[in-house]
Amino acid sequence: MAREGWGPFPCFLLNIMLIVEHLTKIYSDGTVALRDVNFQVEDGEFLIVIGLSGSGKSTLLRCINRLVEPTEGRIIWNGRDITAASHNELRLIRREIGMIFQHFNLVNRSSVLVNVLSGRLGYTPPAWSLVNRFRTVDRERARVALQRVGIPDKASNRADELSGGQQQRVGIARALMQEPKMILADEPVASLDPVLAHTILGYLEKINQEDRVTVICSLHFLDLVQRYATKVIGLREGRLVFKGDSEDIRQLSDKSFKEIYGEEAERLGA
Amino acid sequence: MTANHLPPKEKTSILHGLLSFLVPGLGQLAAGYPVRGFSLLISIILLGLLSIWTIAQRARFPDFGLSAKVFILLVAQSGALLLFLIALRYLVGRFALKDVSGQALTQVGLGIIYVLAIVLVADSFLSAAGSEEELRQVFGMPAVLSAAALASIWFWQAFDAARIGGRQAPASLTPAILIACLLIFVLGWNITKIDMPKAVREYQDTQIILRRIIWPWRAAFEFTVRSLESEARIQAPCPEGASGPPVNEPQDDEPWIVVIPTCGEISERDLRGNFEPGSELTITGGNFSPGTDVEILWKNPIGNPFRPRGVGETVIPVDESGGFETKLNIPEAVIPATAMGDQIHTLIVRQESALVFTGALSREMKLALVGMLETIMLGLMATFFGIILAVPFSFLAARNLMSPIVTTLSGVVGGLVLLVPAVAIAFFVTGRIAGLMGGLDDAPLQTASVALLLVTALGWSGWKAGSRGMQYIGERAPDTFSRLVTSAVMGLLTAIIGYILGIGFSRGIRSIPLGQEVAVLTEMRYAIAGAVIFGLAGLVYAYRKGIHGEISIGMIVYVIVRTLMNIIRSIEPLIWALVGIIWIGPGPFAGAIALTVHTIASLGKLYSESIESINPGPIEAIQATGATRLQSIMYAVVPQVLPPFISFTIYRWDINVRLSTIIGLVGGGGIGFILIQWIRQFQYEPAGIAVWLITITVAVLDYVSSEIRERFV
Repeated sequence: MAREGWGPFPCFLLNIMLIVEHLTKIYSDGTVALRDVNFQVEDGEFLIVIGLSGSGKSTLLRCINRLVEPTEGRIIWNGRDITAASHNELRLIRREIGMIFQHFNLVNRSSVLVNVLSGRLGYTPPAWSLVNRFRTVDRERARVALQRVGIPDKASNRADELSGGQQQRVGIARALMQEPKMILADEPVASLDPVLAHTILGYLEKINQEDRVTVICSLHFLDLVQRYATKVIGLREGRLVFKGDSEDIRQLSDKSFKEIYGEEAERLGA
Repeated sequence: MTANHLPPKEKTSILHGLLSFLVPGLGQLAAGYPVRGFSLLISIILLGLLSIWTIAQRARFPDFGLSAKVFILLVAQSGALLLFLIALRYLVGRFALKDVSGQALTQVGLGIIYVLAIVLVADSFLSAAGSEEELRQVFGMPAVLSAAALASIWFWQAFDAARIGGRQAPASLTPAILIACLLIFVLGWNITKIDMPKAVREYQDTQIILRRIIWPWRAAFEFTVRSLESEARIQAPCPEGASGPPVNEPQDDEPWIVVIPTCGEISERDLRGNFEPGSELTITGGNFSPGTDVEILWKNPIGNPFRPRGVGETVIPVDESGGFETKLNIPEAVIPATAMGDQIHTLIVRQESALVFTGALSREMKLALVGMLETIMLGLMATFFGIILAVPFSFLAARNLMSPIVTTLSGVVGGLVLLVPAVAIAFFVTGRIAGLMGGLDDAPLQTASVALLLVTALGWSGWKAGSRGMQYIGERAPDTFSRLVTSAVMGLLTAIIGYILGIGFSRGIRSIPLGQEVAVLTEMRYAIAGAVIFGLAGLVYAYRKGIHGEISIGMIVYVIVRTLMNIIRSIEPLIWALVGIIWIGPGPFAGAIALTVHTIASLGKLYSESIESINPGPIEAIQATGATRLQSIMYAVVPQVLPPFISFTIYRWDINVRLSTIIGLVGGGGIGFILIQWIRQFQYEPAGIAVWLITITVAVLDYVSSEIRERFV
């Protein structure tokens, strides 16, 4: 079967991390979450996805690591076709893509350390997991990751004893454990207050710049978008309605802003 | 209607009323309310039949025909009485009490008079209704009451018909429902044979037993009987000049008797049977336990104590100070002709008085304790095995975990193709290994574990290899070819299922009406028919689905496991116990099997529901890190479900211990088994001990389990 579009080889040449082609997702109840979405992300980019709630941001992010199965279209990541990957290949791809969630998605009853270590499961033999065993190297790595997000002393606490901001930092540490090439962040600051939002996004930016990790992040607040993004895409009712870099966002007029957010939207904060 | 000036309230249709009076519901039907009419007719017929059945059932010589006759007469009589009262009320309302409150008063009065009349003149009602012989066929009071109620409903529905016929709102349902409830209450009272006087009369009998059950602890310990004894020596016969042994002296601190005289003649019976009593002895005694009788025994010179007969009282009551006095003639005693010297007899006074506490538990108490222990352990074992099997089942029955598991049709088909031979090989190998270890009889546990291990491992690898192979064919071979292969294999598999079902149908269903031989003859036909139908269906299904068509195998397993668990759970543990007893024989093992089966199903359901209610976020997060399904279950599901699992498990253990006492009643071992035997042998004190032990255990368990659950959740 002849494959169209980007083959594996040119991606490396062009330094392109992710190609999304004709991505469409229709849920089993008939909801169309994404309609023919096309975009590319270069290596080392901080891409922010904006759009109203229900515009398909979460679905888009989840299609990239196939937590949600795309209905149509192709996703090429780092030269590998995610949409065609078998179960096992998908696992190997997923362990190189970290993910951060709006509600942190930590296991509340487990300790912070175990939550962080669970980021390493993709590299751990499955049988070890039955007896809750991790490599010593991984434990050391977890300590370093916790240090990086500034909560090294919380390792033995239960995850639900931490504040929201601290929990999200655990989420970041978990993603760091994967030694990811890319991080997907699904509204990482939507359940946090504005000051914490800057802290969390600051960590992401630091990872983006220091480790050259590509970040794809969905956000609500325009001022945060202007502050952190190197590239922006906008979604409205599942369609890609905006594509631009940080310069474009600064010059984004109220009119085009309303195109993304709909007529009733008002500019907040910025 | 002519009277246009009348308020519409008073418009009633006599015609419809009459129709309904003749046949219940007919007036409603005529007025255009068929549903109301029919339901009234059916209700009245049902209530009438139920009443006749009940009063006949409770009578001494039930005869349904006669009961029906008497009942119908009674209904007619009540109806006549009601008619008379209604007419009376009408006249009173017309001429005496015209205002609204007066009408209400007469209405209430009517009701009261009706009830009073029915109750007071019930006897005359009954006697008017039939002959003596007929009266014996019915049970008096309920017959009168239900007839009165039925008559009221009859009148009510006629009144209702008259109202609807006159285009008014239907009559209020409240009185009809109240009367119907009253009628059903009367019937229910009689059907359940409630007999309050009997309950009061026979309460006395209960008291004796209840007292023993409520405070049974005397039976819990071993007591020995302490006997007080004192002797006196008497010489008989008394030769000339003999004075006999010395007379005893009263003692201060031990029981004593004094017998006067100590020398006398023994009783004799001549050949004609004439009885000549011996000398009279006066016996006084002291220091015995008051309130308990003493017994007098006689020991002749040879030394055999016996109870003297025909010479006076031998069981003597002791007075409050512990003393007694009585008279006794010296009894007959055979004195051998060869006897030499003085013949000294001994008079023994013995009192078996106080029970002495020995500090040991009685046999019954030991039995009950062992039974209780058995019960607790039975519950524990059932819970233990229940958990082991319920945990995997609960994961298979959790919708949120199973629904994402989908696989291609070719994968399923290929997997099944290799699964079957793999399992067959596993069994073959197990057979060989079991032979080496000494066979199933000598090493059952080892054999079972080897079998389990091999079947799981080989089955799993067979499934994997088969589905991989089929997918490989699907990817490499031309589409049509692989589609055909998949369909053919699927058809074959379903044909096998159809074949088995056909044989089952033929043996299980057809053979019952047709007989064994015909069933055997037709067996093959049904099997082939089943194979063809199922095979074709499978073939067509697989071909239409295509090789890449997905089957949600997870949901199929989910539905199967759920259904099985629901069926098992809805069968009571008592019935499972009967199965266990048939299988194993009475004893704790049978009970444990019964409880285990039920525990698997009910814990499985509770577990799977708690899995379904977990927060899905962590699963998503763990999956996103590239973890396998097993890993995401271990790290995202298990920590979340652990507390509810522990809580449910302890709760179930609690239930199991309680249930195991009940299961014992039908032969499932443990304390229930002992309890029911004691009850049947009327041994109320040991039964009381068992009840106490059960109560204490359940209470302690209840407390402990709630305490532990609080800790964990």
